[in-house]
Amino acid sequence: MAQQKTSRLLRKASINFLLMSAALLILTAAALFIYTRTLLDNEIEEELYSQVAFIEKNIQEGNQPKSIEPILSIKRISAERLTTVRDTLMYDPRQDEVELFKELSKSANTTNGVYEIKVRTLIIESEDIFVGIIVSFLSILAIAFLIVFFINKSRNERMWKPFFTSLDKLRTFSFDTKEPIVFESSNIQEFNDLNIGLNELVTKIRGDYNNLKQFTEDVSHEAQTPLAIMQAKIENIINQNGISDTQYEELNSIQKDIKRLTQLNKRLILLAKIDNDQFANAQFIDLESLIKERVVDFKDLSENTFSVEVKPNSKIKIDTYLAEILVNNLLSNAIKYSVPKSTIHIKASSLMIEVSNTGNATLKNPEKIFERFYKEGASKKATGLGLSIVNKICTYYKFKPSYRFRESEHLHQFRIDFSG
Amino acid sequence: MKILIAEDEIALQRSIQVYLERDGNVCEVASDFNEAQEKVALYDYDIIILDINLETGSGLDVLRTIKKAQKKVGIVIISANSSLEDKLEGLDLGADDYITKPFHLAELNSRIKAVLRRGKFGGNDTIEFQEIRVDTRSRTAYVDDVAITLTRKEYDLLLFFISNKGRVLSKEIIAEHLWGDNSDLLDNFDFIYVHINNLRKKLKNAGARYIKTAYGSGYKFISE
Repeated sequence: MAQQKTSRLLRKASINFLLMSAALLILTAAALFIYTRTLLDNEIEEELYSQVAFIEKNIQEGNQPKSIEPILSIKRISAERLTTVRDTLMYDPRQDEVELFKELSKSANTTNGVYEIKVRTLIIESEDIFVGIIVSFLSILAIAFLIVFFINKSRNERMWKPFFTSLDKLRTFSFDTKEPIVFESSNIQEFNDLNIGLNELVTKIRGDYNNLKQFTEDVSHEAQTPLAIMQAKIENIINQNGISDTQYEELNSIQKDIKRLTQLNKRLILLAKIDNDQFANAQFIDLESLIKERVVDFKDLSENTFSVEVKPNSKIKIDTYLAEILVNNLLSNAIKYSVPKSTIHIKASSLMIEVSNTGNATLKNPEKIFERFYKEGASKKATGLGLSIVNKICTYYKFKPSYRFRESEHLHQFRIDFSG
Repeated sequence: MKILIAEDEIALQRSIQVYLERDGNVCEVASDFNEAQEKVALYDYDIIILDINLETGSGLDVLRTIKKAQKKVGIVIISANSSLEDKLEGLDLGADDYITKPFHLAELNSRIKAVLRRGKFGGNDTIEFQEIRVDTRSRTAYVDDVAITLTRKEYDLLLFFISNKGRVLSKEIIAEHLWGDNSDLLDNFDFIYVHINNLRKKLKNAGARYIKTAYGSGYKFISE
């Protein structure tokens, strides 16, 4: 689908206004041009007719008026001719060049004979007036438009302000925060309606979101008891005499699946609990002892070696349990995906923790690595929740998790910046 | 031992009962809150296994009743809720241990034994099995009264075996007991075998024989 071209509301309004003004200006100018031109033409003609009338009267009275080229030429003719008005080019001795004149030629039938009177006037003069009128008119209009434009612009900005404030609030809004979203009231009915609508929507979605979180927690909790029953029953069957080795293997395999479900459940419950704000007990934790403690545990469970570099006195403020989970999940992720028997590097200070493990290939979708149920590679045992729990804890404490692959050393690096 | 199982899920209650009675314990059951209240008021038990979410009331209230009556009894809470607050509240009210559903019966059994050992109920903090003796206070094991050096995991393993003697323990159950949730990191459980082998060696001739394989991949601690 083609991307719709978007532009800013206020900019668009300004551009629209300017375009309309320009169109209006051109139309007005054209109308004014035609009107003034006709008006001037009529005026000139009228003047020429009145001059001819004077001269005609003069001839009638027996005077013999002389031609004054180029503005007046009188000559005796044999018969009357038609009255004509036309534009003509004449030599103007005063300016020593050919100029455009308007010429009225009219025959006068007097007692002294038939005369042809031609009066002319320079069009240039009228043209100047004409241009003067148009230019002054357009300048006044353009200035008026500009003033209106700026007034309009600042008024628009003020008028739309509540809209933009609401927009900013929506942009920064997150369902994870507990604070309700409050929109400013405005004196414009539509904006208030919009805010009311948004409020209802947000309340509704927040309700649904909370229900969903609660639902996840409830479902996971409800599943614990049936799982416990299954597990207990299988254990009793195994302890009865008279089952075969194959039956034992089958039952044991069911136990493993129960364990998988249990782990999945535990992690979902943990995620829901962080969502539901049930870890408010933040206190300063010494990273060095925490990491070393976890590493000792993991050394037992894995064939990897561990290199630990923690700056002394590195402390972060976090819930004890979540701190353990955080380190635990980072480490177990590194162990799960590392090359067997390789070294896992752990670096930490009060600003960050970084866990790196060796790996052969880059991830296909590194941006999804912290997402819920995202699994990369063939590890069937992974629940796909370990790193999303890390991410959730980071969101909760405003830590910044990141991942990168260092091609040269074939290292997957998971880093958490505590300062956010 | 006389044990009360206060659990409203009958199937689970029944399974726990079956498992514990095989050790010669006498188990009574309470299937709802009122029955639990009544039984703890009327009778004396060595251990009460108490579900927090009883259908008609809270197990924590049963716990309060027991403590008010100042009865000498070990209490193990079982709960579907793994939240720390619940756990702390239970322990604050005087429960001796807290275990989250779902759990292995072997795990529950070893917790019960641990509660019983903690002296204050007249229990004994040494456990004996044939020529093996474990002093749980000093965390030392003796074979024929000669102390043997065990690593922390080997010690835990031995205790787990003796607590669940005669029971089939899968590698997974053992791993979970020793390493908790992180045990699912293991791709194979070979190194459980390493730990068990080391323990066998340290227990010398007789002891080594007690750890028997069952069904090919499980273990059973048994004397004959």
